[in-house]
Amino acid sequence: MRIFLIGFLILALSSCVDIWDDITLHADGTGTYKYTVNMSASKVKINSILALDSVDGKRIPKIPEIREKIEYYRNKLQEKEGISNVRVESDFDNFIFKIIVDFESVSDLQSGIREIIKEEIKEKNDPALNENWLTWDGKTLTRIVPNFQSVIQKMKAEDQEKLKKGKYTCVSRFDKPIAKCDNPQAKISPSKVAGLIESTTYSVGTNPSILKSTFVISN
Amino acid sequence: MKIKILIPITLLGAISWGQKSEDIIPKDAVTVFSLNNISILQKVSMDELVSYDFMTELQSELFDGSTQGKTLKDAGIDFNQKMNIFYGKNPEFEISGFTFGITDKEKLFTVFDDFDRKESLVAGTEYYNNYFNHLMIQGNLGLLIRVDTDQDKLTEITDSIWTSRGLELPWYEDEYFDEEPMGEYDEEEFTDDDPTLNEDGDEVEEIIEEEVDETPIAVDETNDLFKNYYELRDSIESEYSRKRLELITEELFAKKLNLKAQDTRLAAQLTHPSDGIFYLDNSRNFKNTNSLFYLQAMFPDLYRDLNELYTGNVMLGDIVLNQKSIDLKVEANYGDGLGSIYEELNSAKFDKNVLKYIPNNNTGFFTYKIDLKKGYEKAYEVIMPILSEEKNARISANVLTIELLNDFINTDEVFNTYKGSMFGTFNGIKRVKTKRVEFFYDEETFEYGEKEIEAEEDMPVFTLGFTTGRPDVPNKILKHMSRITSQFKNMGDYWVYEEAILNSVPLYMINKNGLFIFTNDEDLAKNHSNGYGAEAITGKQVKNAAKSGSIYAYMNLGDMINRLPETILNDHRFDVLASMKGKKGEVEVISSKTTRQKTTYNLTYSFDGTYDNAGKYLLDLVNTAYLVSTTR
Repeated sequence: MRIFLIGFLILALSSCVDIWDDITLHADGTGTYKYTVNMSASKVKINSILALDSVDGKRIPKIPEIREKIEYYRNKLQEKEGISNVRVESDFDNFIFKIIVDFESVSDLQSGIREIIKEEIKEKNDPALNENWLTWDGKTLTRIVPNFQSVIQKMKAEDQEKLKKGKYTCVSRFDKPIAKCDNPQAKISPSKVAGLIESTTYSVGTNPSILKSTFVISN
Repeated sequence: MKIKILIPITLLGAISWGQKSEDIIPKDAVTVFSLNNISILQKVSMDELVSYDFMTELQSELFDGSTQGKTLKDAGIDFNQKMNIFYGKNPEFEISGFTFGITDKEKLFTVFDDFDRKESLVAGTEYYNNYFNHLMIQGNLGLLIRVDTDQDKLTEITDSIWTSRGLELPWYEDEYFDEEPMGEYDEEEFTDDDPTLNEDGDEVEEIIEEEVDETPIAVDETNDLFKNYYELRDSIESEYSRKRLELITEELFAKKLNLKAQDTRLAAQLTHPSDGIFYLDNSRNFKNTNSLFYLQAMFPDLYRDLNELYTGNVMLGDIVLNQKSIDLKVEANYGDGLGSIYEELNSAKFDKNVLKYIPNNNTGFFTYKIDLKKGYEKAYEVIMPILSEEKNARISANVLTIELLNDFINTDEVFNTYKGSMFGTFNGIKRVKTKRVEFFYDEETFEYGEKEIEAEEDMPVFTLGFTTGRPDVPNKILKHMSRITSQFKNMGDYWVYEEAILNSVPLYMINKNGLFIFTNDEDLAKNHSNGYGAEAITGKQVKNAAKSGSIYAYMNLGDMINRLPETILNDHRFDVLASMKGKKGEVEVISSKTTRQKTTYNLTYSFDGTYDNAGKYLLDLVNTAYLVSTTR
């Protein structure tokens, strides 16, 4: 639970966050998932928060504790079925965090993440946890992003404004060319094997359907 | 016979009717705020009153709806008497509360409606109780008090009883300890960085036994142990607090032992015609510090001598409400020993060079002038004989070390390099240049990449400068630093240390005009390394700073308080800041020349227009002073 509190606290206090959400899916269903969070635009603010003992009655963890927790969750994810080669890169100078995961199938990836969240949170029956963020039938990939609306609503108006400066980039890569994508915001690479959708972190947080997309791969 | 009985009753009545609210302040109070002119509080609502921090200990029971929509006037409080707010803490217990006059008891109990009448603790007084709060009434006087046993003391007693019964402390087997919700404890509290010392004060190597797996106690059994332990602790706390309350009540109402009767300085201060007064006994704060327990136990003579040094260290203040300003006059009183050190310390001459570096559009600044050399020499003269008398081997060795250092080191040059005088400015919030990493992608492949770009972030801009007679010394250090790290750079007029502040923002250093200045203000370093010239402060502030004693401070309250970023402050400082928020106007602090007996500080808070609720301003000030004086 602590890691989610830390995450929420940093997100809520740092405001300007860039996210790079990148999935590579092979024809056999295996793939690699990369998730990168960049808070370097708020590093002065984050550093000043980390220098404190607490903010709003919440204890602020020290960097070694955050490192320890990241390692704890890395190990936990590594143990999940169908998930391997979990790599975490943490840059505490610029506050950029990357997680790279290889998976056997998108359902393994989704189940692994879901199980960890369920193990850590109290609201185990939260309907959001039962949503399918990723589905793949060998030809069609459907992606949505989880709903952060409640987190954003709790933020101060001034911080919400800053969140509008953050970018959320969602990339889907395939072995074969993309035949069709239903999201009009999506850009398809010249080689047609990758699709990219960009928005602000605020828009994605308040309206996750912006990134909802279905990619149909050619035979 | 009847006459014989009537005489003492009449006398008792006469004494109690003759008493005033300030006559029932417990002698254990260390801090007292006494509001003389409480008629100005008539407009203050009870809801507002109980929301102040100085009411925190009491408010949980008061703030239960019974105060809603009511003012102090509706509470039957006597506006012709003072209201005295007090707080005190010592190694045994903590007290807080207030004393007041009563005109209408019936009305009083419309506010204190949750209080139940109990059997009187002292003849001639009425006793009402609501959980941890106690209300004592004698004649037309009321005392609302909360008494808490010191938590460390309580733990010590509970543990002692618990273990003497052959029981193990319940948390030894608590596997869920780590799962305590974040924010509810501070792990640093559980870290013991202090080495274990033997009776000579030498460090003792601790033998740490390796953890072995033992059969854990079943969860239910552990829960029972916890429950029993805390039930024992609660009952001890309840009993100790009750006994202490009885003692305080007896002292106040039967023996007439109170703070005013015990301390003539408070008694004299209470006669001042100002709107409010305050009293803070620093010498008792020193004696009551738990951290001095080791000193007291191991070196009783030294502890006694240091206590004597602190004797008489009392802060006394007056609050005066004027039409367009509030004046706060504070006298810091010292005993002879400490006073002689302060007198020498504060005999420095004002360095006019500092004024060049304070811009006229500053939000706030302070100047602090002390003569560290004279202070050091006097402290050496006063404190060394006290330490030298101690027969302990370790202290004796330390005394010898200090004496040798004093002989071998050129203290004149040390204190010529660091003279002790300093200044600081707050120039508001500015956009400062930082670097950030930006994501980009290859348009062909959408492959991810990172690039470093220039960015800007808001940051409070501070400058801190020290007077020095040896600019070559800091220069030597800076040159050395620049040789070992490329982050230190000599830019000619100034030095820069890249990414020094919060790993992000450069720190600039200026070594000119007999001053060594640290700042994060790029404009000051690049364009004003010789001072602001015509843009520096002038006029009344300059005169006041120059003629002030050891300290002068000015701040534009509206600008400073409302612009300081809350996230750079810890919880206590944030409370102080929040208590001052919304205020406009200017605050100026001027100190007098320090004598062997005292230093006087005059704080003037002037504002545009007039206040429509003077009582609220007064309470806001009292609240700020309370937060500052009760740093916990």
